[in-house]
Amino acid sequence: MKTLEISGLHKQFVDSYTDEVVTAVGDVSFAVEQGEFISVLGPSGCGKTTVLNIVAGFEKQTDGSVLVGGREISGPSPERGVVFQSFALFPWKTVLGNVVFGLRMRGVPRQEREPIARQYLDLVGLEGFERKFPHELSGGMQQRLGVARVLANEPEVMLMDEPFASVDAQTRRKLQEDLTGIFESKRPTVFFVTHDVDEAVFLSDRVVVLSSRPSQVNEIVTVPLERPRDWRSVLDDPDFRHTVTHITDLLSGDESRVVQADLDSA
Amino acid sequence: MSRRLAAAFWFVVPFVGLVVIWAAIVALTGVDRRVFPQVTDVARAFADMWASGELATHVGASLQRIAIGVVAALVTAIPFGFALGISRWAAAFFSPLLRFSVALAGIAWIPLATLWFGTGEQAVIFIVWNAMFFALTYNAMLGVQRIPTELLRAARSLGTTRLRMFSDVMLPGALPSIVTGLRVGLGYGWRGLVAAEIIATNAGIGYSIFLAQRFFRTDVIITGMIIIGVLWLIVDRVLLAPLERRTVERWGMKAVVS
Repeated sequence: MKTLEISGLHKQFVDSYTDEVVTAVGDVSFAVEQGEFISVLGPSGCGKTTVLNIVAGFEKQTDGSVLVGGREISGPSPERGVVFQSFALFPWKTVLGNVVFGLRMRGVPRQEREPIARQYLDLVGLEGFERKFPHELSGGMQQRLGVARVLANEPEVMLMDEPFASVDAQTRRKLQEDLTGIFESKRPTVFFVTHDVDEAVFLSDRVVVLSSRPSQVNEIVTVPLERPRDWRSVLDDPDFRHTVTHITDLLSGDESRVVQADLDSA
Repeated sequence: MSRRLAAAFWFVVPFVGLVVIWAAIVALTGVDRRVFPQVTDVARAFADMWASGELATHVGASLQRIAIGVVAALVTAIPFGFALGISRWAAAFFSPLLRFSVALAGIAWIPLATLWFGTGEQAVIFIVWNAMFFALTYNAMLGVQRIPTELLRAARSLGTTRLRMFSDVMLPGALPSIVTGLRVGLGYGWRGLVAAEIIATNAGIGYSIFLAQRFFRTDVIITGMIIIGVLWLIVDRVLLAPLERRTVERWGMKAVVS
């Protein structure tokens, strides 16, 4: 069953500075199966975050449709929880308070909230930190909290917008492995935006490679790696290297085309 | 604990120094003590006012006025500031008026307030409210505008309804700025109160100062001035600082200095 169906997505906006009409998303279509981990990858400025923002309901598309569970989306909703690059935790809420927040907003009875929240804090390895405030946690722990906060709502799809881009490289590796572990045990549907090829291949079942702006789907690459995955074995796996090389070629081919186009127009 | 004692000690030292210099100057220059009273004169005036119960009456009257003024300002300025923070149109429309009014807030309204409300309680409270209103409104507006977009989006995609966005996201999110506004505003309100008590009819610290002026009681005037300063320090330390510690600092949010 298709959890998320994006078809003919097109987004234009007017640059408020130059008054020019800019096409951020040209024509993007793909579908995400239930329990699938899909990454959207593309050169910076290709509009991948715009696609995520439209799916999240933060922005409205100019054309095309986004269906979740077969229904057209309208506005933000807890069925499409978002993990942000900047974490976007509530600084005035404790760790527990942040996870409980969504449950409270959705009207989950008081006595059920805390056990659910604790279950997800355990899942991301934050047990024992319930009474801390977000600013007392490291960047990596803050993003674990960001994940727990979304998963506690049991969304149809978890949207992740370059969630590990603002943590250091070592922590990032660890978070990627932990996210894989969580995904393998809980099987949520994940829509993950990144510009890091290794990250996309390591985490995903399929990688949607976008071309540069105005973005179109260049290719949807299926990742041939077994689960469970961890960095040690994946890095030794020739399939991993092949997939990464293939996607890197796709991206650089796209880049050289852009350069060629620039030369032609000059 | 010893650190807090040390902090308290170093807080008091400059005041002790001031009193010593004051006493020395009066003693050495031999200035007419009716013009500039000695420390002991002021202490005596304070003791007299304390013993007669006058002090309690004045302080009580002033504190009551400021309390009513603060509550009135909070209740009116925060919703207005929020409206401005949410609507870009309203902010653009009212911003010039707000900036214009900040300079006029409080004391400049005393003549009009007297004409509207007569001399007495209502006029003084109006001045306190007026002195605070604009600073509080402005800071509440800034507080809402400065909440990161992603925080609002996160709340929306966690299922927060538009109505609950106010109570559960915007109010705590804007609190650092509101606390700043309260601090700045209370300072304005306090000055407004003292000045406005010139039109008060029976009690209040400002009132006692203006009354003492008529009888050339400089010792009473200076006593009143000291009490005004001390009361402000107490309000700031006992009410505002703990409020800030328990919210803004504990949450790791920085108080906004505007």
